[in-house]
Amino acid sequence: MRGVAGGRNLRKILTGLRTNMPMLSLQGISKDYLTDGQRVPALKGLSLNVERGEFVALVGRSGCGKSTLLNLAGAMDFPTSGTVLLDGVATSSLKDTGLTQLRREKIGFIFQSFQLLHTLTVFENVELPLLLAGKTNPREVARERLAWVELDGLGERYPHQLSGGQMQRVAIARALIHSPGILLADEPTGNLDTITGNVILELLRRLTCEQNTASIIATHSLEAASLADTVVKLRDGKIEEIIRR
Amino acid sequence: MHLFLLFYRLMVRPLLREPARTLLTISAVALGVAVVLAIDLAGAAATGSFRGSMETLAGDNDLEVTASGGVPEELVGTLATLPYPMRVSPRIEDYAVIADTKKSLPLIGLDLVAGASSHAQNASKFGDELQAQWASKQTLEHLGDNDSVWVGSSLGYKTGDQVPLLINDQIHEYTVRGVYSDSNGNEAAIVMDLSAAQRALRRYGRVDRILLKLPENSRLEDWRQRLRAMLPAGVEIRPQGAGTDENRRMLAAFRWNLRLLSYISLVVGAFLIYNTISVSVVRRRPEIGIVRALGASRGVILFAFVGEAVCFGLAGAFIALPLGRFMATGAVRLMASTVESLYVSSRPGPIELSPASVLLALAIGVGVAVASAYSPAREASEVAPIEAMARGRREYDARVRKGRDLWLALILGLAAAAASRAPAVAGKPLFGYLAAILLVVASALAIPFFVALLTSFSSKLLGRLFGVEALLASRSLAASLRRTSVLVGALSTAIAMMTSVGIMVGSFRQTVLFWMSDRLPADLYLRPAGVPAADRHPTISLELAQKIEKLPGVAVVDRLRAYEISYEGMPATLASVDSQALRRYPRSNFFSGRRTDQVLAELRDSNAIIVSEPFSYKHQVRTGDSITLSLGATQATFRIADVYYDYSSEGGTIVMSRSTMLRYLPDPTPSNLAVYVAPAANVETVRAEIEQAAAGHRVLMFSNRDLRAEAIRVFDRTFAITYALEAVAVIVAVMGIAGALLALVIDRRRELGLLRFLGAATRQVRKLILIEAGLLGLLANFAGLLLGFALSLILIFVINKQSFGWTIRFHWPMEVLLAALTVVYAATVLAGLYPAQVAVRLNVLEVIHEE
Repeated sequence: MRGVAGGRNLRKILTGLRTNMPMLSLQGISKDYLTDGQRVPALKGLSLNVERGEFVALVGRSGCGKSTLLNLAGAMDFPTSGTVLLDGVATSSLKDTGLTQLRREKIGFIFQSFQLLHTLTVFENVELPLLLAGKTNPREVARERLAWVELDGLGERYPHQLSGGQMQRVAIARALIHSPGILLADEPTGNLDTITGNVILELLRRLTCEQNTASIIATHSLEAASLADTVVKLRDGKIEEIIRR
Repeated sequence: MHLFLLFYRLMVRPLLREPARTLLTISAVALGVAVVLAIDLAGAAATGSFRGSMETLAGDNDLEVTASGGVPEELVGTLATLPYPMRVSPRIEDYAVIADTKKSLPLIGLDLVAGASSHAQNASKFGDELQAQWASKQTLEHLGDNDSVWVGSSLGYKTGDQVPLLINDQIHEYTVRGVYSDSNGNEAAIVMDLSAAQRALRRYGRVDRILLKLPENSRLEDWRQRLRAMLPAGVEIRPQGAGTDENRRMLAAFRWNLRLLSYISLVVGAFLIYNTISVSVVRRRPEIGIVRALGASRGVILFAFVGEAVCFGLAGAFIALPLGRFMATGAVRLMASTVESLYVSSRPGPIELSPASVLLALAIGVGVAVASAYSPAREASEVAPIEAMARGRREYDARVRKGRDLWLALILGLAAAAASRAPAVAGKPLFGYLAAILLVVASALAIPFFVALLTSFSSKLLGRLFGVEALLASRSLAASLRRTSVLVGALSTAIAMMTSVGIMVGSFRQTVLFWMSDRLPADLYLRPAGVPAADRHPTISLELAQKIEKLPGVAVVDRLRAYEISYEGMPATLASVDSQALRRYPRSNFFSGRRTDQVLAELRDSNAIIVSEPFSYKHQVRTGDSITLSLGATQATFRIADVYYDYSSEGGTIVMSRSTMLRYLPDPTPSNLAVYVAPAANVETVRAEIEQAAAGHRVLMFSNRDLRAEAIRVFDRTFAITYALEAVAVIVAVMGIAGALLALVIDRRRELGLLRFLGAATRQVRKLILIEAGLLGLLANFAGLLLGFALSLILIFVINKQSFGWTIRFHWPMEVLLAALTVVYAATVLAGLYPAQVAVRLNVLEVIHEE
């Protein structure tokens, strides 16, 4: 199934105009994990569409399936059943090269623990996705993204010279460097104090709105939920409730 | 007990969870220890338990009477008729080759008639098997026959069999009259009656040694003094086996240097243990903090990490035991052939893995492991719990004090330079070794500074040239400065040793080639057929030499003669040349720079000699000095006319003119002939004429080109073992690199997983790891080449000179070095393949969410 698109022109597939399609479409997806030979269901027949520019908050208790959903949405994992369509492309139909290409062009990730490379400067961290994609001279774009997150002038610093909030801003700039269609954030304020966390959430909200980027944020934060266009409540691997504002 | 349980849970279990890395570290230790063990076992077999072949059937005597060129036979009678209750056993000693099998064996001539009659008189006194055989009726009647031999049982002959023996340059048929057991410490040999041996060897009127058995409880020194007074001046009386001791002393430098060379792998292994334990400490820093907070003392932490190293050491040592035993089999062959080519005839003994060897392996394995782990273990134990839990790896790594270490390196470098100028201590280049060690340590200390410097300059350039993977690889190496430095230190040490020994051997080879172009001016050379060895000088019939001299195409025949002698308790070669023949040397080969004909004229005209460089160095004599030599029954003093460069033997050579030698040692038979073809004659025609003239004689003829090729073949075989040792050191280092890269991948799994999230393709992750391996290899090659060059200077001008006394001209063996460095570099990059595969297979979801 995943090998179907092996020989196709991936770029054509990925850049095809599908403006009438949701940026992310989860269609009846289930995900089981094998733990000590036992099948443990993480997601059970879940369907969800996320449009461009939509800010979605994914809430629920620990273990309810938030991270699993983000992994499937980010093409880092595959559903046991059902289909994940990212900008109209079924992730299961892509081989490793296609998945890598998809991540390079369509997806931005933000993590709870920032996940910056300590050996690189702020500039270099932000540029990294473009460099990995083979783009040359990404410095100007990086400078612009750092300006978006209000970190002008800190590009030559190393992560350990920054505060937690600043590190998460760098992570946001990095996630947005390639203008992804969807931004996936797993507890982006989990390691920050409330005030800094709120500032980061507002920044995220503003930037994704400006860039017309779909965002899914897994969070425990009520503040995050209050900022979202859509709140998806998960419980035991199922959608319990969807609140649209 | 609870401590051991904790140790198992906290230290051993993590090792078991990473079997590939654990196995690589253990294998590196095992190889290091195995090499040391192999060289020790092989050394003991080839030289350590060295008992000259000539001690075969020597029995339990107390003193021996010897003289350069042989002891006059009449002294046997003199000693036997003294009114002392002592046994007098004259011996002839040489080598014979069984013509059918080409097996070379000691040829021992014993006074069988006297032995048999003594046995008949007092069976209990001479109660060995051979004596008993001689006393038997059937055998007694053959004792005086010139064609009778007795042979060792392992040769497989029966009484009555015919054996064709090549002795000197002729083959004779002999009849086996008896077989003796050679399984009880005696070597298989050919035994014949003294007079038959004298005849076969053309050694009339002389014996090689007279063995003396004194009454029980005699004071050896008193007897020696007493008998000394009755013997001629040139005859020496010394404890039996003194020759073996002399040989042992001569072999000491060879064994010592080889043993030190075997420690290279261990040094490289020590670097890797240090790295493994350092990585272990870094990884478990938070755990250290937790267990310290829960009540573990500093001692417990120290015990835990030293214990981890002990596990590596013990496991490595146990694997090293069979491995070392196996490697010793190959090593002993190489060592034995070197001993025979350069030193003395001996047969290697059995390789014995004794309890002492087992203890040595364990001590080395555990000792090296503990010594190299102590520093990181101590550092771990000194960490405050809060600090350990709060700080990350990056900050820990940042503690490398590269500036301070660079200063220390400079000081040690200066100390090394000073040590390299100090003289030898008791004939051993101890300060030379110290200088080498100081240089290795200085290099290890300087490496962090240079790694930081190079990576900081090169990362951006590398990024531009090879993409973002190169930038990341370079930054990662710079960030893990301690780890990178240790790895570069380990690999560069192995490379440096390889380079330095390569340069030393290459320079030596070049020097020998240059020297040989001067030393072999004749057109053809003849020597008796048989197995050549440094201490064997079989002779060619005088008639054959004279016959060749008269051939029309022959201009001059230089009759060379050599004897093994003892000078100041060390073996040396005494040689003579027909000085009128040696006019054609194109260059001076003398310390004085004088022309060869000038020096040789001096040899002809006076009681002068020339000595080889190793002789001059060993005995601290120089041009103009006088030395006294024991020659036959007399002693004579000679003036050293000059010192010449010589690389043919380590023992040292004294050369005099043929006429001078014949004055003291009147045996005119030559050991070798150097034939100068007349200017108008064709060499091949003359060669054919000589072959015809030599019919019935077993001699080998070489052109000077053949002889050079043969010498270089022997040279290359001699140094084969050093190449093997270097190769093992490099293998250990490359294994260490593989293990360390694996650890690096495991430690940086979060980062590698993140790269996948950020859009890195699997090939990019693989490329990243391979570039890291390549950068490590590049840094190590660079540092290794620099250190190797410095070490080669110490090896050539200090250690070699002080150990062997040879002057070697420096030479860069470019092809060899380039090939070796390329192979090492390729191996280093290939060592990254498996870790790269592990990196690619990481479960990115797990690794990114686990922190």
